[in-house]
Amino acid sequence: MNSELEIEYDSAKVQSPAVQELRELWRYRDLLQLLISTSIKSRYKRSSLGIVWTLLNPLLNTIVLSIVFSFFFSRFEIRNYPIYILSGLLMWNFFSQTTLHSMNKLIWGSGLIKRIYVPRTIFAVSVVGNGLVNLLLGFIPLLIIMLVLGQPFSLALFSLPLAILLLAMFTLGMALFLSTIAVYFVDMVDMFGILLSIWFYATPIIYPESMLPDRFQFLLRLNPVYYLLETFRAPIASGTWPAPDQLLLAATISVFTLAVGWLTFTRKSNEFAYRI
Amino acid sequence: MNLPIASENSPPGNGENRPAVILEGVSVRYRAPQERIPSLKEYAIRWLKRQIRYESFWALREISLEVQPGEVLGIIGPNGAGKSTLLKTIARVLTPTSGRVYVRGQVSPLLELGAGFDPELTGRENVYLNGTLLGYSRETIAQYFDEIVEFSGLRDFIDAPVRLYSTGMYARLGFSVATFKRPEILIVDEILGVGDNDFQTRSYERILGFQAQGTTILLVSHSLSRVEEVCSRAIWIDQGKMVASGTASSVVNQYLEQIRRQESRRLGGEMAREPVWRWGNHRLEITRVRFTAGDGSERSMFHTGEALNIHLDYIAHQKIPSPVFGVGIHRQDGVHVTGPNTGAAGLELPDLEGSGSLTFSIKNLPLLEGLYRVSVAAHNQSDTEMYDYHDRAYPFRVDNSGTNLKEKYGLMTVQGEWSFQTTHRVSVPQQANRG
Repeated sequence: MNSELEIEYDSAKVQSPAVQELRELWRYRDLLQLLISTSIKSRYKRSSLGIVWTLLNPLLNTIVLSIVFSFFFSRFEIRNYPIYILSGLLMWNFFSQTTLHSMNKLIWGSGLIKRIYVPRTIFAVSVVGNGLVNLLLGFIPLLIIMLVLGQPFSLALFSLPLAILLLAMFTLGMALFLSTIAVYFVDMVDMFGILLSIWFYATPIIYPESMLPDRFQFLLRLNPVYYLLETFRAPIASGTWPAPDQLLLAATISVFTLAVGWLTFTRKSNEFAYRI
Repeated sequence: MNLPIASENSPPGNGENRPAVILEGVSVRYRAPQERIPSLKEYAIRWLKRQIRYESFWALREISLEVQPGEVLGIIGPNGAGKSTLLKTIARVLTPTSGRVYVRGQVSPLLELGAGFDPELTGRENVYLNGTLLGYSRETIAQYFDEIVEFSGLRDFIDAPVRLYSTGMYARLGFSVATFKRPEILIVDEILGVGDNDFQTRSYERILGFQAQGTTILLVSHSLSRVEEVCSRAIWIDQGKMVASGTASSVVNQYLEQIRRQESRRLGGEMAREPVWRWGNHRLEITRVRFTAGDGSERSMFHTGEALNIHLDYIAHQKIPSPVFGVGIHRQDGVHVTGPNTGAAGLELPDLEGSGSLTFSIKNLPLLEGLYRVSVAAHNQSDTEMYDYHDRAYPFRVDNSGTNLKEKYGLMTVQGEWSFQTTHRVSVPQQANRG
């Protein structure tokens, strides 16, 4: 293949690391695909029930949570509460697992980074890709619950791909930004883990928005995940199109986060081989 | 020393004769906090206190060089000289702190064979994973897959997870993947001691084949003879700086000369010290031991076949009735090579008092390359009274590099001769000469 042979590298001519990285990522697209598929394969290879667990796990989780929460907070006026929880969890798990996992993956990849050249963003991008596959698989139990509970399927579901795209962009941006810090400070991984559990409860994922006292409502407005969550959940749980102003905000947040993450990471990534 | 330094802003014109690799004033600095600060909290505290001190270390300083396509460049130097760092800047693993690295063509780094193998995956899956890590497309790998497996000789194990592979198998598969296509630039850190003899021969042949087809090769090796044999040109780096550059043999010779000087100095220093293993009643003392060559110059480095004289200075503090002097030569590992003494040689010494000296001369040193240690002793006729004994206190080295002495197995040369006759003539089919 000629494209493989016509390679020039000039350390002095690297125009913009952010653009350069994008080009290199494209050149290594086959590796990216392979990284995603092998990590999915190795995940399901290990257990005998394999893929069934990924489906069963959220299903059981939702049932437990629904029972507990309906019992304690019977005043919840949310229709089809299980769907509300499950769609929220689906989104949150994607975000939290992907960000955490990509920090670890970069540290895992440090052995490689020190030995041969690969585009360094490939680790975070592959983790996001991996997370997207898991997210899609997660729709199966959701679908089952929706069918069982007789949730109507609205046309608004067609907005989901956009919501997922924004979510992926936001997550990748966060993952890259956090990974950059984690290269220099390993305890970032733990710190972020703690932050995530606070963040989880600060976001209306398993409880309705209305449950938050008025004086804390401003917290929602400050929470970027909230907008992405609403965009993602509205078509599933309430069958409504995402509100335009929220969609716009979600899009702005995602693009901004991805830009910051990508720029930070690619500006620093040449140092990684020295640091990890 | 003349270095082909690229003219300013000389990017590679459009002709076919542009260099494959250009380094212009490349420096690499490792900068690390003096102590590792693992946590953000610690960092913040120290940053506020302005307590973060960095230690920087220049692994490479101002290295400039050009490598033409098809050239085989050897890189020599002691451990920690920056050889691997140099290769890593060319392989894009490290970005130079300053200066410029220009590389044209696909680079295949044989730095760490099997880097990036996933132990849980099968050999087959790892071929694809490793191949794509090296920047090949899946399509290309699929096309060459059978050849890769064939070369590695692991057809029967290709569907087993590589965690079950031996180290040799691991490296064989790694080598096969890294070299399945002729790269334009091949980076080799140490000639590979991969697998069995047969595989080593085949991998070496494959590299030579690439060279014949015009691959540029950058080779780091500790085997200087290998560098002389394979490389057209060599550079010598030490402490990150280029010390010499030129034809492989001239650079290797300069490097060896330097090693020899250092070694002589070191051995010389050792000679000057009081021997550690010394006993005897010191009624007679051996005060000084020297080695000289045929021309009388004092040395501690000799070639096989040269003259070696061992001089002993003594002082007898009282009258000693005809003593016996002896020397012993030991190889570094303790093998006692020889132990001549004046008594056995039939040299009856007179009664000694005061000082004097003796010389033991070897006209043709039969010892082969290695480090040897000499003991000296003085005792009475019946060997019942030891006056002075210095056990293996005086080292010298036999080194035949730079000479045309080829014999190297065993301890010594017996200076035998080979002869050859045919008894009958068998017609042998014409065979291509194999190198």
